Amino acid sequence: MKLFKEKKNELDEVNGEFLSQSLTNIIDLHEIVNQFINKKFNKEDLEKVIQGEKKCDRIKEKYVQVLFRDKRALPFLVEDRYNILMMLDETNDKIEFFARFFAVYPFELYEDVKKEFGDLNDFTVETVEKLLNCATLIEKDFKAAYEKTFEIEVARRKARKAKFDLLEVVFKKKDNPTKIYLTSKLVTYIYEIAQWAEEVSDYLRGLIIKYPNR
Amino acid sequence: MALEYIIILFLIISLIISFGIGANDETMAPLYGSRILNMKQILILAAIFAISGAILLGEGVSKSVGDKILLLDYEAAGINQNAVVMTILISTAIVLILSSAFGLPISSTHATIGGIMGLGLLLGGGDGVNWSTILEMSMWWLASPIIGYTVTYGVVKVLKKHKLKSLKGFKDFERSEKKYSYIILIIICITAFARAGNDCSNAVGIVVGVGDEINLTLLLIMTGFGLAVGVMVLGRIVIKNLGKMTDLRPSTAFAVQVPTAAVMLIGTIQKIPLSGSHLLVASFVGLSKASNIPLKKGMWKIVLIWLLTFPIAAILAIVLYVPINAVI
Repeated sequence: MKLFKEKKNELDEVNGEFLSQSLTNIIDLHEIVNQFINKKFNKEDLEKVIQGEKKCDRIKEKYVQVLFRDKRALPFLVEDRYNILMMLDETNDKIEFFARFFAVYPFELYEDVKKEFGDLNDFTVETVEKLLNCATLIEKDFKAAYEKTFEIEVARRKARKAKFDLLEVVFKKKDNPTKIYLTSKLVTYIYEIAQWAEEVSDYLRGLIIKYPNR
Repeated sequence: MALEYIIILFLIISLIISFGIGANDETMAPLYGSRILNMKQILILAAIFAISGAILLGEGVSKSVGDKILLLDYEAAGINQNAVVMTILISTAIVLILSSAFGLPISSTHATIGGIMGLGLLLGGGDGVNWSTILEMSMWWLASPIIGYTVTYGVVKVLKKHKLKSLKGFKDFERSEKKYSYIILIIICITAFARAGNDCSNAVGIVVGVGDEINLTLLLIMTGFGLAVGVMVLGRIVIKNLGKMTDLRPSTAFAVQVPTAAVMLIGTIQKIPLSGSHLLVASFVGLSKASNIPLKKGMWKIVLIWLLTFPIAAILAIVLYVPINAVI
């Protein structure tokens, strides 16, 4: 019983640490993208996001160690928790991938898509923030977490609209094809973060339905 | 045959029977299915309770096999009663071992009655079997799965409505499941302990009847070991097969096990011959329906083996009777 209690406390602690670091990563990225839009971009700042993902990986390892320390403690939930962790970690991986791509993107943003790119950036960070919020809520309040998953869906839709509005403008340009191609990639990669966040939220919604309070 | 040889022979057969019964013991299946314990821990626990149940509870239990069902005048017809009893028990053990090897839980009572019917027909024709008793028992055998299904379905629905629905989040859910895992563990241990005491009577009954020279404690220890080895060698297949029939959590395992144990207890008190295996399997189906969790493949195999238990045991008893009668 004592072992279980200690594990539970430790699990709460490491879970909080992981979610908090993930939130820091997406907020840092959001700020850097805004700087890029406002032409105050410093590529070296992206290192902060990359290092943040590494921190998350280390926390993840700790989390897994704690999670499987006592296999008898609620078997199905242990597996579900592991899946949640892995899916959230994939979000961090996508953030890091975007940061690395962003670091080598050699162009400045087209002036006429700044608003759409800003919107896409805002809605992406909103989607991930809501996802992390949902992952926190699922611990204590299934109902609130369930409702949050629908907010994530809405935020992702807004991000999608911003993405296609932006691509519509970019694809009509008769500019350097490499710039057009790489810009579309940049947009796609940032949108993929929001898209993945919604997939994770769908999984969380499924878990909430699976467990018995609904 | 000299008495000591007969005793040794009966001891060996008693061990085979206890092995067969242990091999088809599915009591621990909910523990495996809900993964409260892993297979190694389950087998250790099953062995401990099989041995302790046999030793501590087995002494007071003695069963006569087939008294109410066989209508044979042994003396007038010149039938060797020991050979009849032994044939029934050996055929039961073989059917149990075979079904366990395929991971299929069957009712040991079905197998026994099948053997009795086979011998009754062989030795006394149509008049050798008390058909009215068979009919009465058959009604309960049909009723067992229906009762198991209905009771578990109801318990799961009530549990979901009044208890599980009030849980707030993962933390609350975890606390609740933890409590259920302790309760189910205790209940299954008690069931395994009581069942071992009851089951060993089937195995020791024949040896006890041979003479007073047998050390009953030693016999019970042997039987306990037979049950334990049966669970560990073949019983694991049955436990695994049944435990994986549907998705179980400690709370749903509780919903399966507790009604099954309660109905069995009422059945025992009221002297109704319910089948524990049938109740448990039907409870899994009831849980699956009540929770909208799909059943894994293999359910029809179990139903088929239930239907085939009678004819297989009857044919086996008929085939075995001639050589056994010649030896004893």
